[in-house]
Amino acid sequence: MQPFQQLEEAFEAENPDVDVQMEFHGSIQVMRRVTDLHRELDLVATADQSLLPMLMYATNNPETGEPYANWYLSMATNTITIAYTSKSKYADEISAHNWFEILSRDDVRVGISDPRFDAMGYRTFMAFALASDFYSDSSIFGNFVHRQFKYPIRLKTEGEDISIIIPEIVETNPDSHLVVRGSSVALNALLESGEIDYAFEYVSVANQLGFESVKLPPEFGLNDPKLEDYYNRVRVELDFQRFASVEPIFTAEQIRYGLTIPTNAPQPELAIRFIEFLYGPKGQQIMKDNWQPLFIPAQIDQPENLPAELKEFFGL
Amino acid sequence: MTQKKRSGAKTFVPIGFNILASLLIFFILLPLLLTLLSTSVGTLLQTLQDQVVIDSISLTFKAGAWATVMGLLLGVPIAYLLARSDFHGKAIIEGVIDLPTVIPRTAAGIALLLVFGRTGILGKTFAHLGISFTDRLAGIIVAMLFVSVPLLVNTSRQAFQAVNRDLEQAAQVDGASAWKVFWQISLPLAWRGVLNGAIMMFARGISEFGAVIILAYSPKIVPVLIYERFQGYGLEAATPITVILLILILALFAILRWLSNSISE
Repeated sequence: MQPFQQLEEAFEAENPDVDVQMEFHGSIQVMRRVTDLHRELDLVATADQSLLPMLMYATNNPETGEPYANWYLSMATNTITIAYTSKSKYADEISAHNWFEILSRDDVRVGISDPRFDAMGYRTFMAFALASDFYSDSSIFGNFVHRQFKYPIRLKTEGEDISIIIPEIVETNPDSHLVVRGSSVALNALLESGEIDYAFEYVSVANQLGFESVKLPPEFGLNDPKLEDYYNRVRVELDFQRFASVEPIFTAEQIRYGLTIPTNAPQPELAIRFIEFLYGPKGQQIMKDNWQPLFIPAQIDQPENLPAELKEFFGL
Repeated sequence: MTQKKRSGAKTFVPIGFNILASLLIFFILLPLLLTLLSTSVGTLLQTLQDQVVIDSISLTFKAGAWATVMGLLLGVPIAYLLARSDFHGKAIIEGVIDLPTVIPRTAAGIALLLVFGRTGILGKTFAHLGISFTDRLAGIIVAMLFVSVPLLVNTSRQAFQAVNRDLEQAAQVDGASAWKVFWQISLPLAWRGVLNGAIMMFARGISEFGAVIILAYSPKIVPVLIYERFQGYGLEAATPITVILLILILALFAILRWLSNSISE
């Protein structure tokens, strides 16, 4: 959120004729604004780029018959961390090697985001599944979810493949030590106020807000492109179809943020100006200052569909 | 309390007022009516079998009832006090009672979180008794109580003010204690107003979203569930629950109003 707010300010300073209006939601929710609620947005950014093909390429705008998007920019990566403060329980004990054990203790309050709506939510469970696999100890995942949810979250292993099954209703038990919110940004205030001891966050966010953090090793932190095959064995399945318009399966992979201009954007020319600003020197600096440097050169999915101005801008 | 208008009394209002009045009534009723008509009976029945919805409705009513009971316990005495005695700083107390209605609900939620949260003054104290508020029933009750209790206090105060003081004083002269006067004269006469206040408070409480969601995102009361369904699954998933909540509140409202009218007559 922070880099985007800074981008908004800097962009508006250079473009006084434009008032950028931003809203922030869980990654899946962002796209549902366009595809389900039929909001006309000029720019959509998400913490998981694979959601763009899944939800926007695959859904047609009933008015035009065209998909809601047909290209995206792969912006930047991030690392999963466990954010905490000096007041958090066992703050002096937690490390990159025992985090899963500390977070499974009954007297530790842990904030997670909803795996049904937010990328950080399903990535949290991916990290636990990967840790279980890495240490060959299925109790790592089991202890974390055991007796916490009204409808259990399960781990299914078939040979090399690991599936995490998320039920239709994610609701914690009355005595649970887990606190679930719709998106990871909603956990920050709870962590600040001492309501929770730990929250799953991106390293950039934890740094921006000045939290202490345990940066997960690359095996679980989902930040290393060299481990792609290793990550890919884990997937999160949403165990319900009732409301879903697409097959709800998320495969673990290196975290990559995605950005696109929806095909029904009312002011695509302004969105293009914003992207050019983002990839210009000032935009790049803002992202770098927020611990989230852009991939340079720009990585583009289906670049043939990029608007002509952006093709030129990126030298295609 | 307002006197019922005698039939045949001539209305004396400026021209155009009835048009403007109808406009307002239309503005309130149209969205509600359209929402009520937006879902088929089949979908409604299906939604009513959804265990999550049932649990959420019963939780909402339970929390609202608790909040109202506590509101009666704490609100009626202050309403009586404000109606019957004059004291230094009374205006300030009246202002304080109205505060929850003028601050944003989200601000109320944050303020409550700071006090009833795990590290808040009251949160810490109650933790020793095994009561915690965040994401718990107690948190929902506290949020509902905070935002809706002014309705009960203000309505009850007006009701007590409307009670004829001569009756109370006569009883007093006859040697009745203040308790006895309150129980046997004031409360029976102001009963209808107090009940009306409780109804308003209950309805306002179970509709609360902003303050509740900050203190207790889960267990989910109906307004939070509506929001979650809307966010997560879209309009189609959210509407049936919205309609159910509307019907329940309207029905309850009608029943309790009818009850309070028949009691008073």
